[in-house]
Amino acid sequence: MSFTLRSVKVPPNSVSLQEARSRTFDFFRSACRSIPSVMEIYNLHDVATPSQLRSTIASEIRKNAHITNPKVIDMLLFKAMEELNNIVEHAKQRHHIIGQYVIGRGGLVQDLGTKDQGISNFLKNFYDSNYF
Amino acid sequence: MASALRAAVLRYIRVPVAQTLALNGSKLSLFNTVRSMSAHGDDHLDKEEVIERVLDVVKCFPKVDPSKVTPDVHFQKDLGLDSLDNVEIVMALEEEFKLEIPDKEADKIDSCHLAIEYIYSHPMAG
Repeated sequence: MSFTLRSVKVPPNSVSLQEARSRTFDFFRSACRSIPSVMEIYNLHDVATPSQLRSTIASEIRKNAHITNPKVIDMLLFKAMEELNNIVEHAKQRHHIIGQYVIGRGGLVQDLGTKDQGISNFLKNFYDSNYF
Repeated sequence: MASALRAAVLRYIRVPVAQTLALNGSKLSLFNTVRSMSAHGDDHLDKEEVIERVLDVVKCFPKVDPSKVTPDVHFQKDLGLDSLDNVEIVMALEEEFKLEIPDKEADKIDSCHLAIEYIYSHPMAG
């Protein structure tokens, strides 16, 4: 599927917010449909379930739910499609997928100790994750 | 070595032809009485099973309170989900029943009732 997607040219901008919205759902569907092959490629069966990955994709989309400019949404969709293509074409390695989408923003090590209560947000984010 | 052994064995094996033919014939006829014309057979899902599996999928959705889920529940009005959650549930249903629901149909499915109807009437649902 990814190879057919690659040959498609960049579509014209969405005319309305409604169109951008439906394109977002289309993207979400195609991402969900590629989950089984992604799990196969990156051997994710023992670290994640399809429904977890689906929820992760949905939360990534929901992060940008406040955006109302159709051009910005189109740009984000383009980047999302690019990311999806890269993942489906095996342009990444297993730890990229796990770090980004399975463990996600929870961070590799859940350090709930008191020792770094006062540290800056920058440092907290630094310890938390590479991906944001 | 192996071929010599095979030749040696084959020389002494005799298969009674009439008996096997009769055996095969009886097996075949038995098969035909049980199986219908199609290779898939008539394995259409019955309604109770569809309802149960749809409700299970919806209940397993993390944002849903399982006690609220009934066959008539509306995803957005009754369960407090948004449109993206709605699409997510439809995708989960696709996975559960091994379907691919076309986008136009998928947009219309916004309640348990419609989902059950759609899947029940779908010939490939399994």
